[in-house]
Amino acid sequence: MGSTDLLIGSGAVLLAVAIAVAIRLLAERRRLRRRLDGATAELQRLQTSFQRFAPTAVVEGIVARARATDAARREVTVLFGDLVGFTSLSEHLDPEVLVSVLNEYFVRMSQAIGEHRGHVAKFIGDGLMALFGAIEPNPWQGNDAVHAALAMQRALAAYNQELAARALPTLQLGVGIHRGVAIAGVIGSQALVEFTVIGRTVNLASRVERLTREIPADILITASVREGLDPRFVLEELPARTVRGVSEPVVTYAVREFRDAE
Amino acid sequence: MAALDAVEWEVCSLEPVRNRAGERTLRAALGMVPPSARYFLDSPWVTRAYANLAGMPVHQLSPDLTEMITLVVSQDNACRYCYTATRSIMKILGFPESQIRRLEENFLAADLSPADTAALDFARRVSRAAPLASAADAQPLLAAGYSIAAVKEVAVFASNSVFFNRLSTLPALPPHQMDIAERWYIRLLRPFIASRMRTPRVTQPAILQPEQREGVFADFTNALDGLPTASRLRAVLDEAWRPSALSPRLKALVFAIVARGITCAPAEREAVRLLVADGMTPAEIEQALAHLSGPGVDPLQESALTLARESIWYRPAELQRHARAVGAQCTRQQFIELIGITALANTVCRLSVALDLARQEP
Repeated sequence: MGSTDLLIGSGAVLLAVAIAVAIRLLAERRRLRRRLDGATAELQRLQTSFQRFAPTAVVEGIVARARATDAARREVTVLFGDLVGFTSLSEHLDPEVLVSVLNEYFVRMSQAIGEHRGHVAKFIGDGLMALFGAIEPNPWQGNDAVHAALAMQRALAAYNQELAARALPTLQLGVGIHRGVAIAGVIGSQALVEFTVIGRTVNLASRVERLTREIPADILITASVREGLDPRFVLEELPARTVRGVSEPVVTYAVREFRDAE
Repeated sequence: MAALDAVEWEVCSLEPVRNRAGERTLRAALGMVPPSARYFLDSPWVTRAYANLAGMPVHQLSPDLTEMITLVVSQDNACRYCYTATRSIMKILGFPESQIRRLEENFLAADLSPADTAALDFARRVSRAAPLASAADAQPLLAAGYSIAAVKEVAVFASNSVFFNRLSTLPALPPHQMDIAERWYIRLLRPFIASRMRTPRVTQPAILQPEQREGVFADFTNALDGLPTASRLRAVLDEAWRPSALSPRLKALVFAIVARGITCAPAEREAVRLLVADGMTPAEIEQALAHLSGPGVDPLQESALTLARESIWYRPAELQRHARAVGAQCTRQQFIELIGITALANTVCRLSVALDLARQEP
């Protein structure tokens, strides 16, 4: 009888331990599931966020294979924006103020670009490069880029009023836009990669932006942007100029305004 | 679910209504009035389009695969309403939660057959249209043993999801309305409800009648001949083009813009033909398509063009804010029709892969 009791007692203890272990395992499993759900959700959020800056297929390639090798020729419109005379300005400003002014400027420019279906591919010092038509095909990319440039101008005018009110120097923006075929892909080392475009189209857009320092025009576009541009944009043709790296002189057009309903 | 919960979603810009005629149409086709259909009852053709496309039978594929296509496409389009609804339907139909989760997390790594994985990948390509899916994209399915008709049916169900994703996203239908799978009465009646909800399957090919081979965008519906969707899509297109609150010009412009946006040349050609028939000159049409404005385009049409363009690839909340602003410029019926025609244009243009595949058929 005693040994039977002992056996039953031991069985009960074992059963209790087994139940306790099962409950613990179940709780642990639930906890892990919650963590996995959280991590998955976070990953998906990051993936969704990143899809604003690179084509979905590129993002998926990075997620699936930890790298993306796909590169393609795409028709893109490249916008370069740079602050005119910012280098000399920066020498007279407190570094903290300078960075704060610059960051707020970038926020406003990025917003203006994003509202016209472009995305900022990179910040270069006080300049930026934005792309239109790089993430999804966009037959309206030329109009979008020029609308974005005008929106950037308006945003800067509003920002300048705020800067002036704070007794800070105002900023002046030069924009160059060119449309053409470029190679788009993920470029960089293992430590630092970016989705960007490279090629002659990018170089020419950058050179055209530099022309805004020599010509009395804040927004300059090339003939390839003008072709197919909405006729409501008021343009002024400028004399052809030689730019570095391009054999033929480049004709540019100054964008003056957009005339909506007459 | 968590990932899409984070997707910004506006307040709904439409109110559900009661309408006996519309409700009868839906009950006859679907056996019930789905909650989302109530928002569109003020437009007879959008209601009938809803009934035709929501109750679409399947011929070549398994009904389970069509549910998975709907889930994957709705998730990819960040349509919180359709995603929540499909998730609920899948649970009611008996899909285990673990399987739904694996599909959500990464269907490429889920425990599916290679053929099903290829089908879901292809469906997503059709929906994304960046670039537009072509017959070359269908090769993995054909290699996995799918017939051309079955591949077309994958494209049909992907495009069908595109329709409902736009229909739900544009007015921001409230997603919580469809989070119903765990409600006690649904659980109690699950077997009965499941039998009503399962996608019906037909065994015989559905051949179009001679009179069904003509009409707007007939090339697209003819390319689907043999599938039950061909006659349903034919009916939807014919009804959409009957006189209604929106002009034929506006409808054709919306199709033309979506076609141009995703570079669907056959759809753009057909839309341009309709615009010429409506009295627009080629120069006016080109200006409207190139600049979303022009002399042959009135203010409502101009707003519709911009919205159509935005509907191709979008972030839901931005599209919804834009849609609300456009809705403020027109009557309720016009707004519902605009949502309907925009959704339909996105659907039809993405079906151009069926034209490609039809050329490969013996």
